[in-house]
Amino acid sequence: MPASQAVSDRTIGAELSEEDACRSALYRLLGRVLVAPPEESVLAALAELKGDESPLGRALNEVAAAAAAPQDLDREYQDLFIGLGRGELVPYGSYYLTGFLYEKPLAKLRRDMAMLGIGRRENVREPEDHVGAVLEMMAGLIDGSFTAPVNDFSTQQRFFATHVEPVAPRFFADLEKANAARFYRPVARVGRLFLEVEIFAFQLI
Amino acid sequence: MKTKKEKVLGNDRRDFLKLAGVGAMAGGAAVLGGAKKAKADAAEVPSGRGYRETDHVRKFYRTARF
Repeated sequence: MPASQAVSDRTIGAELSEEDACRSALYRLLGRVLVAPPEESVLAALAELKGDESPLGRALNEVAAAAAAPQDLDREYQDLFIGLGRGELVPYGSYYLTGFLYEKPLAKLRRDMAMLGIGRRENVREPEDHVGAVLEMMAGLIDGSFTAPVNDFSTQQRFFATHVEPVAPRFFADLEKANAARFYRPVARVGRLFLEVEIFAFQLI
Repeated sequence: MKTKKEKVLGNDRRDFLKLAGVGAMAGGAAVLGGAKKAKADAAEVPSGRGYRETDHVRKFYRTARF
């Protein structure tokens, strides 16, 4: 019966929809290339991306083209995010929000991570509020990797509003303009366009 | 009544995402593992949908800073 079907589609724990699977994949993709330069297998996967003719889809096609012909990504990553002393960008939420690392936004993220059953890998030493790490957390909140069940949009929305929206759009805008950005320029465009879509889509929940 | 409204809202959101280019990405995304729990057809390009303007998409592109 259609009515009960509609309810079950929106029930927490129900199956992940195609669109939400793609949201999760986009967050994971963006997170993956931001936490470290992509290795061969990731580049091969990125080169297979095929977007549609929407602005986001076209940006995805640019990422695919860039991934098919990579040029010294380790160096580009180093120049952008690490550098001597610091890279061109400092990809941490605390830095974006306060101008310093290890400030209150990080403490807030750690509290929310504990509440949502999100741990960190043993060998990771950077602070948890790396933009890439936070995007990977969003991916896991959507696909049910943590304690939040699939389709728990209010949890997704809270996490997004607190930890993603105040930082990541500005970060991607900066990355798109960064001098050292080549592969990361279309990546930044995908990030910027996708987050604009996300901000709008959350208003439709 | 509420159920019906919720259904419409949920569909609006999913339709919007699809038309904004989320849901039409094939290939690499699935390889990266993001679509692991999705339905079997999740990684396929929706055929014949493509990019169409709807009220939501129009409103979105009016308000977004592209």
